[in-house]
Amino acid sequence: MKRKAGFILAVMLMMSLLVAGCSSSSSTKEEESGKVVLKFLHKWPQPEFAPYFEDVVKEFEKENPDIKIKMEAVADEPMKDKLRVILGGNEIPDVMFSWSGEFARKFVRAGAALDLTPYLNEDTAWKENFIPASLQPFVSDGKNYGIPLRFNGKFFVYNKKIFDKYNLQAPKTWDEFLQVLDTLKKGGETPIILGNQDPWPAIHYLTGLNQKLVPQDVRMKDYNPKTGEFTDPGYVKAMEMLADLNKKGYFMKNVNSSSHDMASQLFFAGKGAIFYLELEEFAEAEKNMKGNWGFFPMPAITDGKGNQNYITGAPDGFIVSSKTKHPKEAIKFLKFLTSKENALKLVKEIGWPSPIEGATNPDTALKEVAEGVDYMKKAEGMAEWLDTDVNAKVADVYLSNIQLLLDGSKTPEQVIKQVQKVAKQIQSEAD
Amino acid sequence: MIKTFQNRRTAVLYIVPALLFILLFVFLPIILNLYNSLFRWNSFDAERTFVGLEYYGRLFKDPVFFTALKNNSLYAIASLVFQVGAGLIIAAILEDKLIRKFQPFFRTVFFLPSVISIAVVGLVWQLLYNPEVGLVNGVLKAIGQEEWARSWLGDSDVAIYAVVAVSQWQYTGYMVMLFLIAMQKIPNEYYEAAMIDGASKIKTFFHVTVPQIKEMILVGSVITVIGAFKVFDEVYVMTSGGPGRSTEVLGTMLYRSAFRNDEMGYASTIGTIVFVITLTLSLIQMKLGKSGQEV
Amino acid sequence: MTIKNSPIVQSNHVIEIRPSGQKNSTKIKDRIFQTVVLIWFSLFALVIIYPIIWLGLSGLKSNSDFFLNTWKLPEEWIWSNYQAAWDAGIGQFFFNSVFVTLVSVLVVLVLGSMAAYGLSRFQFKGQNLLLVLILSGLMLAPQVSLIPLYKLLQGLGLYNTYWAMILPYVAFQLPFSIFLMRSYFLSIPRELEESAIIDGCNSWKVYRHIIVPMGKPIITSCALLTGMNVWNEFMFALVFVEDSSLRTIPVGLMNLRSQLNTNFGIQLAGLAISALPMIIAYILFQKQFVRGLTAGSVKG
Repeated sequence: MKRKAGFILAVMLMMSLLVAGCSSSSSTKEEESGKVVLKFLHKWPQPEFAPYFEDVVKEFEKENPDIKIKMEAVADEPMKDKLRVILGGNEIPDVMFSWSGEFARKFVRAGAALDLTPYLNEDTAWKENFIPASLQPFVSDGKNYGIPLRFNGKFFVYNKKIFDKYNLQAPKTWDEFLQVLDTLKKGGETPIILGNQDPWPAIHYLTGLNQKLVPQDVRMKDYNPKTGEFTDPGYVKAMEMLADLNKKGYFMKNVNSSSHDMASQLFFAGKGAIFYLELEEFAEAEKNMKGNWGFFPMPAITDGKGNQNYITGAPDGFIVSSKTKHPKEAIKFLKFLTSKENALKLVKEIGWPSPIEGATNPDTALKEVAEGVDYMKKAEGMAEWLDTDVNAKVADVYLSNIQLLLDGSKTPEQVIKQVQKVAKQIQSEAD
Repeated sequence: MIKTFQNRRTAVLYIVPALLFILLFVFLPIILNLYNSLFRWNSFDAERTFVGLEYYGRLFKDPVFFTALKNNSLYAIASLVFQVGAGLIIAAILEDKLIRKFQPFFRTVFFLPSVISIAVVGLVWQLLYNPEVGLVNGVLKAIGQEEWARSWLGDSDVAIYAVVAVSQWQYTGYMVMLFLIAMQKIPNEYYEAAMIDGASKIKTFFHVTVPQIKEMILVGSVITVIGAFKVFDEVYVMTSGGPGRSTEVLGTMLYRSAFRNDEMGYASTIGTIVFVITLTLSLIQMKLGKSGQEV
Repeated sequence: MTIKNSPIVQSNHVIEIRPSGQKNSTKIKDRIFQTVVLIWFSLFALVIIYPIIWLGLSGLKSNSDFFLNTWKLPEEWIWSNYQAAWDAGIGQFFFNSVFVTLVSVLVVLVLGSMAAYGLSRFQFKGQNLLLVLILSGLMLAPQVSLIPLYKLLQGLGLYNTYWAMILPYVAFQLPFSIFLMRSYFLSIPRELEESAIIDGCNSWKVYRHIIVPMGKPIITSCALLTGMNVWNEFMFALVFVEDSSLRTIPVGLMNLRSQLNTNFGIQLAGLAISALPMIIAYILFQKQFVRGLTAGSVKG
């Protein structure tokens, strides 16, 4: 009978493994000593930014002793996959990061995001705190699904020393821009630094070019997965203009094998004249270049069919899971995150542009960041990031082909043809 | 035969725990995968739409699928040439009596990369390949071959070769080790006999070494070829399929479809195809193995 | 099975038998051959060792030092990079990797050796079918199972736990271990077992007191192979857990890369830390590793 004892032992070992597995999974859900546990997923694990969130969470927990925040952070590039992996799971964070636009709308359509409209209407003071243009991109079918944390815009940053050397001014139109680049090129400088190993930086160029070249209503129709066709000639033109910058040698060499971070280091070290940067990166620029820089928005394209008074950029922020058991607490936390006090802290400590009215001003923020936010407030609209504003599959065609466009193995027409094909396929699936 | 060892129930009891694991986590998923491939669904939406074999039709019209297939095959061929071919030659030389005293050193060094995680190897090579600060272009410059310098991982024409080369760097030593182990079971007398016959090194290699370890060569070839269709980590880490889709392999294509493009059904279809390919290769191997035994 | 004393285990030079007339010309030829081979192998060894050493050294550099003097020794040896990398998460990932690897290896060894024993000693109907079934697990690509397992683990409530990694690892590592152990066990002489059974031992006792002790070399090899594969596994760890507190080293490193995007020194220090344990384990245990495989795997 001893033999059997051995097997029973082995079986028990296995069972205990499984049981241990189950119990350890449920322990994460467990609400310790009656506390409400909120899972919070954000996008900034970097040592420059993480402490801000740790502080704010600590502060919140102190004010609300019955709520515990379980914080988790995933960086930008992995976030795009991770959010989908997580949303398919059964341990969805209560409050999680999302980009605005189609990226968020897709979760809304699947019923994964909670409708926040009633909460915003209930507390009008909270709602009116936001710069209206920052809430808008999170709206789907007239309902609010997301709360912005940052109000991000994209601008060309230039090295003042190099610009002064050639007596150059910040250009207002695309033609002036090309002249500036030409002068720099002739002077032996690297006109534009670009790190396109992860292909989103070039997509940010295209975001603005598409917006400036394609009529607004056509573009909106195309970015909607149900009606997207991408047949407007502006899309090809936008790609051609981007490819031209490369063909004329205005970009640095080997754009596809340098990462954006590596490119930043090159620019900060003075190895190029112009770099396309987000407002949130301005603090880093100032830290490294100490006043030796200025910026300008993407220049107007004289014969472009789109509105020339738009700024490229978008808010990003948080959505609430529709499966959350604690919507009230989640909202409470979001209100805390976006309180004027914490917005000021955000601007001061990490130099980000805040979507809270009046939080980003010359007293709290870097002069340039405040100016950037002013640009956005004055703009007639925002061109949201192309890779999060269209259906994921269209974005994928853009993202993967933009590198081929830049290394010359594909033409603009070929890429757009593929975009059109995928758009058609998505339409047929949406029916 | 002793009676104790003829009790079927006891035997099965020993085997069942392991078998359960394999059935539940290896075989069941294959069936589920086939089922999943018949629906349009994504990870975060409960809704599923039955689409039948639509995805299979689409896959065979998808140019990226053929790029991936081509890249996986390239992996297989390169691995056969370098890991099996060169590995065999290196092992034979290490066994040569003139070199043997250096064997422990070289064997250890050559094997070293295969114990390091692909994530680490991939991230390091990404830097070595970097056109600005990387060693690869630096060395080319130093030996006066600057025109060979490339933006290795950023150029869609050469990126896949650069990625494949890293795998050879990492795993050739592993195969060398396997071959050495097999070679050391060859009785000395065979070599002595060859020597008395005055056979050259090359002749000895082909007439003694190779036939004696042909089973290991076969096993090694199968491991590398099937391994070539399991590739995921190195591509994901170094290029994630780019630039464009030029380095996409079936594994990364599956991952991208599932967790970037929200097409779980399409990803499952790719999974099924990977299964069919590896199954076919295994069957071919079994057949070869059998005929090998008969010879 | 004839096993020659191998130089891997102990050095054993071949007695030279050579017709004396050719001696001189052969000697020159041998010299050339030796020199050429040594140069070739040394170059290959350099190509392998250099990046590894470079990795360790670059982990000691500041960012600008890394960019400006990529291929020189560090200007200033910043040991704190290693500390910073450890604190940035490598420490936690390291613990997770150790835990997941240890448990997986243990389960694979216990279940694998039992199954290998069952398959090598018992005679019963359906034996071949079971063997083929288990061994065919060797050929299957893990990505086929990626999505079904992702759903399955969620269904079982195991998603985002250590077990979400351990259970699939065990399943995917078992076939090869069973394959190796079975062929080794087959080579263990049976006289001992027969007399043990005559003395009244049951099959469990034979397994515990004869097979396991005699099979130690192959069990060690399997432990190292399994440990290596589990330690380095990437894809399942990427998809089956989401909390950073559960991540293992390979996936943790990828996250660290995007997290420490502006400090290459710390990043590389992190890479160096995660490569080190396997390098040390291999150098320490390589003798046992090779001995088990030499005696077992493929019959000579």
